Amino acid sequence: MTKLTTKLTLAISKGRLQTDALDLLQRAGLSWSSDSLCTRRLAVEDESGCYRLIFVKPADVPVYVEHGVADCGIVGRDVLLEWEPDLLQPLALNIGVCRIVVAARSKALWNQFGMLRVATKYPRIAAKHFGARGVPVDLIELSGSVELAPVLGLADCIVDLVETGRTLQENGLSIVEVITQSSARLVVNRASYQLKAEAIGQLIRSVGDATQRRANGD
Amino acid sequence: MSEPLSQIPAGMRYYCGQEARLRRAIETAVMSIFDGWSYEEITTPTIDYYSLFEHGMGPAQAHRAFRFSDGDGRLLAVRPDVTSLVARAAATLFAQRERPLRLCYVAPVFRQQPESHADWRRESSQIGCELIGANSGVADIELLAIVCEVLQHLGLDRGCSITLTDIDVFNGIAEELKLDPDSRDEMRRLVDTRNSSDLEQFLAQCSDTKDSHALSRLTQISGKHEILNDARESITNARSRAALDRIARLWSVIESLHLSDHFAIDLGDVSRLDYYTGLTFKIYVDGTGSRIGSGGRYDSLTASFGKAEPAVGFVLELDALTDILLGRTESNSPAKSSTEPVLITGTDLSALFRAAMDKRALGERIVIDSSEVAP
Repeated sequence: MTKLTTKLTLAISKGRLQTDALDLLQRAGLSWSSDSLCTRRLAVEDESGCYRLIFVKPADVPVYVEHGVADCGIVGRDVLLEWEPDLLQPLALNIGVCRIVVAARSKALWNQFGMLRVATKYPRIAAKHFGARGVPVDLIELSGSVELAPVLGLADCIVDLVETGRTLQENGLSIVEVITQSSARLVVNRASYQLKAEAIGQLIRSVGDATQRRANGD
Repeated sequence: MSEPLSQIPAGMRYYCGQEARLRRAIETAVMSIFDGWSYEEITTPTIDYYSLFEHGMGPAQAHRAFRFSDGDGRLLAVRPDVTSLVARAAATLFAQRERPLRLCYVAPVFRQQPESHADWRRESSQIGCELIGANSGVADIELLAIVCEVLQHLGLDRGCSITLTDIDVFNGIAEELKLDPDSRDEMRRLVDTRNSSDLEQFLAQCSDTKDSHALSRLTQISGKHEILNDARESITNARSRAALDRIARLWSVIESLHLSDHFAIDLGDVSRLDYYTGLTFKIYVDGTGSRIGSGGRYDSLTASFGKAEPAVGFVLELDALTDILLGRTESNSPAKSSTEPVLITGTDLSALFRAAMDKRALGERIVIDSSEVAP
């Protein structure tokens, strides 16, 4: 009975994940006119009127969802590990699959006992990783082109997200170790999950089915 | 180097005007409902030993407190939680008092690190009540009935959801899997975030149970009473089953009171506070991104202070309630603005204040106008 009146707002990561996320939502039964996506509009209504999509930077997805401005979001696990938002994550979506790795120019540096200089966009993940093994690190927080840091001698190694490994290769870096796997997650605001239980339950089921079908290559 | 005096520390704020009046009105309304159910007000210390909170809330939550050391080197904390303090008083100061004890409070709690990014406050006021030493089955319903009355009184009963679970459903499973404390906490975290894919992996790793898939569904079991049958299919251990039976009994009373519209069961809602032992619940209201209150049973907490007895309680977040009610412009708002004050003017100081005091003696609302007083 409340199903028809409940509108859900979904925050979608712009960039790397966007195309796959939209494809998945379309398979899950959401639809929108193609020109509504072509424009630079940051908010798009689904044709059924049940969903509103907003497009924001990956790191901002948990911010919108945690505050309840968006009910749900699609975001990489890397962002969730780095920001540790207080969210529900009921679905792994099997898109945007990649690894969070430590990469360096050579493995030799692991034998040194001094301070390890680590350049990264993920200071919390890096600190946790090296902290767990008692390695003292100097974290150098960068916002992009992290691969450059070891090349120029700014850092001994980097902690970064790697999809194919080509950028690493082209900059003479190789993977020293894999910290964890990452893929996109459907995240849900805690209050929305309870107050819009029916609509969100339905979204979880249909996106879950779509993920399954996509994995089976349908 | 001097700091700018204008700066307010993160997570702190002032309240004034309409907002302050509304806060006070909500506080008064809720406390008078508590009084109506014969709950007696208790004021607890603002600062106490950190070990008390660490023991009560569990280290992970207590860590979020503002901490500093006393003159003798012992670690103190600015109250991050009231329940631990009340439970200790019940087991010590009130040990000889007749049971059940019904206590209520309104008090700010302080947390150096908020639980979520959306929760920016580091000082937030809690209104709560605790029922100690009463028959559990009756006490649980008494508290839920009080919660319903409060929501109704504040006009928040439409579009609210009180989600129930029994922490023993989870505990029974953790016990069956023979998890060590760290794995238990990891599993609790995965269930709490409804992370069924990681949970399934986790269960496959750490157990030889035949059916990790069935257990990982725990995260998705929510709804009205019919989900209990669903739960019984995947959950077979005795401790969890007993907990499911308790929820079923509670639900039938809720239904008979015609309150079931306000309630839902959510077995994935496993609380982060270590002291809960049985029923736990969270209160959500339309228009907020986070819960406005929570509560539950904490039977072993008083035992750790020297007197084992059943106990149950809940808190409401005064700041969250104020935010919602401020946003609603209903005429029955609990904060009615006061009557216009009578202006008291005059040139002579003693005449001015004689007039003022006379009006006050009649109970009138006044404001002193000093503009005509000779300098």
